[in-house]
Amino acid sequence: MSFFGFDSSLPNQGKGGGREKRTATPDKPLDFDETYQGLGEYQNEEDDYLNNETFGNATDLGTDFDFGYGKGELSSNSAPSAAQVDHGRSYASAATTGPVVTNPGYVAAAPHSMDEGMDFTPMESLWTNQPMMMQHPQQPQHPQVLSMEELERQQQQQQIGVPHGQQQGYMGMPPMPPMGYGYAPQAFMPQAQVMPGAAYPSAPQGMPPQGLPLPPQGMPPQSMPPPGMVPPQYQQHAMAMQQQPGAHQQAVQQVPSVVSPLAQQELQQSPHLVPKAALPASAGVVSDFATPSPPHLAASKSASGQARLASPSQMAPSSQDSRESTPRGTRRGSMRKHQEPLSQDDFKRLQVRQAKVDKILRHSGVMTPRDKDFITRYQLSQIVTDDPYNEDFYFQVYKIIQRGGIVGESNKGLIARAYLEHSGHRLGGRYKRADVALQRMQSQVEKAVTVAKERPQKNRENFDGAKEGVLGKISSAKNSKAPRRQLQIPQQRDEDEDLGTSAIEDVVESLNGVDISSSSRARRRSSYAFRSVDQRAVLSRSGGRKFVLSLIETVYAEVLDLEALLRSGKETDSTHLWESLHIADDAYEVSPFISILSFDKGVKIMPRIFNFLNKEQKLKLLYCFFSELSHLNIIVTSSYKTNPDPSDSQLKKIELFQSVFLKIIVSFLSSSAEFLEVLGLLLALVKNNNVSFISTSKIGLNLVTVLISRAALIKQDVSRGSVLSSVEASSWNEIYDKLFTALETKLAAVFPPEEYTSKVVATSSNGTPTSATVGQSSGHQFYDQSYIWQFLASLALSGKLNHQRVIIDEIREEIFGTISRAEQLVKNVPVEEQQIALYQRDKLYQDLNLFLNVMGLVARDGEISELK
Amino acid sequence: MDTPLDLLKLNLDEKVFVKLRGAREMTGVLQAFDSHCNIVLSNATETIYELVDGELKSSTKGSEMVFVRGDSVTLITTPSD
Repeated sequence: MSFFGFDSSLPNQGKGGGREKRTATPDKPLDFDETYQGLGEYQNEEDDYLNNETFGNATDLGTDFDFGYGKGELSSNSAPSAAQVDHGRSYASAATTGPVVTNPGYVAAAPHSMDEGMDFTPMESLWTNQPMMMQHPQQPQHPQVLSMEELERQQQQQQIGVPHGQQQGYMGMPPMPPMGYGYAPQAFMPQAQVMPGAAYPSAPQGMPPQGLPLPPQGMPPQSMPPPGMVPPQYQQHAMAMQQQPGAHQQAVQQVPSVVSPLAQQELQQSPHLVPKAALPASAGVVSDFATPSPPHLAASKSASGQARLASPSQMAPSSQDSRESTPRGTRRGSMRKHQEPLSQDDFKRLQVRQAKVDKILRHSGVMTPRDKDFITRYQLSQIVTDDPYNEDFYFQVYKIIQRGGIVGESNKGLIARAYLEHSGHRLGGRYKRADVALQRMQSQVEKAVTVAKERPQKNRENFDGAKEGVLGKISSAKNSKAPRRQLQIPQQRDEDEDLGTSAIEDVVESLNGVDISSSSRARRRSSYAFRSVDQRAVLSRSGGRKFVLSLIETVYAEVLDLEALLRSGKETDSTHLWESLHIADDAYEVSPFISILSFDKGVKIMPRIFNFLNKEQKLKLLYCFFSELSHLNIIVTSSYKTNPDPSDSQLKKIELFQSVFLKIIVSFLSSSAEFLEVLGLLLALVKNNNVSFISTSKIGLNLVTVLISRAALIKQDVSRGSVLSSVEASSWNEIYDKLFTALETKLAAVFPPEEYTSKVVATSSNGTPTSATVGQSSGHQFYDQSYIWQFLASLALSGKLNHQRVIIDEIREEIFGTISRAEQLVKNVPVEEQQIALYQRDKLYQDLNLFLNVMGLVARDGEISELK
Repeated sequence: MDTPLDLLKLNLDEKVFVKLRGAREMTGVLQAFDSHCNIVLSNATETIYELVDGELKSSTKGSEMVFVRGDSVTLITTPSD
């Protein structure tokens, strides 16, 4: 067998058990740390202070040790002492005394007290409620004073009669070298060394697959350790030694009906214990091994595999009499009569449990605690992150959705806590060891966090240099990178350098001066230069499609960043976001911001942008928006003049814009805009745009309506207490006049022609119904003109009498046309559609009256009368 | 703006034209994509071309939302219309 490429073909050349290095291989031939590529950087092997106890003080160099396969060593009473030392180094103490990782074994905390009182009573409960008290009296009989020689002698005597099942069991287990990294090939070497092959032709113990299966002796459930005694293994050894009188038979037979988790835990750890315990004695009994007694041999053959555990009956022929016995019983012929009382059920249960335990134990001991530490830390380091929010983006979002709460800054602690809760329970559960396990895991988590903190820097260096290639970003090991967040568009800072701060001053300035004719902005954009729905025409004048799209991505990234800040309760700084909007960017004929609004996703992000802008920024944004309204794609699309044949998707776009951006504007104007600011926006609109064109589009008309109605509302709102100053009043009059002049003689043009409305109706009823049409069912849609009447109403409301007269004059035909249409509807309609017709008629009157009421008129039943 | 897929990213939420292996084409709104060019399209229309007796025929299929596996994608661009 070759592990890690290590040549194991020279079994007899001194590569014995791990601890043998001091004697056989003084110059450590292989550094096992290398097999971990230095990842498990622990201290060097310097905690060899147990060597004296293990090897004896005066051992000559070159002495052959047998670690684990000698027969007699287990019965020696030096085993318990070794075990004590071992326990002393268990994690129970390691966790409290410091970072000693040398010693494998999570062994129960209980052994602490082994030297003194040996009070294991708390553990007793774990071993079920079987009557094990009877063991107590026997305990004192345990001869603790036998010398090594005596033991040996005893062994020799027993050799024929007593099967040494225990040793058999341990053979399978690779001795755990303190070095930690596992079942090095050497671990199996002593086997070959000690056994010349003749004695155990099958030599199954040395083979890994068989070596790992756990010997039944190791199982506490079977060998009830008397309270206060050493772990089951030793108890077992002791018993084996004292078997011949049969005094312990009952004790050995104790079979707890429950395998407690703790017991299993202990079982798992047992391999660590055993080899070490066996070490001291082994030197003296190597010779025994070469001459096993026949029963022993028979037992070992049958007992070497797992099968032995699962089906003890198979062993009947090979052992003396084990018809009903437990596996152990097979090797303890003298006890079989006590096993008779076991019922079939009990036996089955026992078998099942044995199988379970066996399964658990199969691979136990393969990894040392240090291995486990290493893996745990490595795994932990993968989940620990500096930036939990972004790394776990989707999870965080999910969590928000689930809890509806706000995610705290660090879930690092949460992960750790959850981990500790889980593993703490598993390792120690509610028992004493939980604390130890907790401490252990805590330190693991700490280490992991440290490792994780160092890792990203390293990664990034390697990453940028080596991996980032022409094929795009290579996604890192993190599986949680959110697509959105992966985009890092370089900021177009250079183009922002000359970001004008003049926009708001502009508003104020133009208001104060009330100099409408003069263009205060250096860049005057023509509003007549386009007559096409072609998006690209406009886009090309603001940097091109790609540029605008990349701007949108930048904006998204900025907004996401700001939202992340907001969630974590930090201060938000909208400067970057503002810059990425390119609102006052004069470098292009059309502001890139206007082009951003050409895309649905640009419109959709607007509410989130508005969350982060301050009032001044919002004003500037809207000023820019209204100034360049004519270039707005959506205006072009929604105007019946430029787009007489709107498609379904275009109607949806209009709908989206209305429901998203228009809403923002309305809420901003009504909540925080001052009268002068509203006027400034209206001025920007009137001054820089062809108002009559804008009024042919639904969106444009909506926007104008919003502005003038807001201004009118503020003006009329006396409850505000602030009477308009003369400057404000005159500004308003002037701006209104300007607006009215622009619209005069073209007011009728706000009504889209019949063919346009019917197309819109047809398109919407084919696709998704939009607010462009009204109707109770898809078959009876008709064009909703309410937005036009709203506009006319607000225009009339703000105007003087002569303005109103002009308006009525111009749209007289539309008014009467609407009335006659309403009356027509009811006349030529079958009875079953009467209901719908009446609804439509009422709707038409309602819209019309919106306008007429402003002037004290009302249209009813085909006639216009004065409003009472 | 430094990798090809970043260009694709610009077209998120935009209508795209996708050419696929097996004489198929799709147009739809790009909802998502990954490094394998797996893409998700909404309001997608798939056009399948085939030669029937030496004559080119095409059939179309529409789907509200569709996942296109990246290994069949040969081209992604903005639609010509």
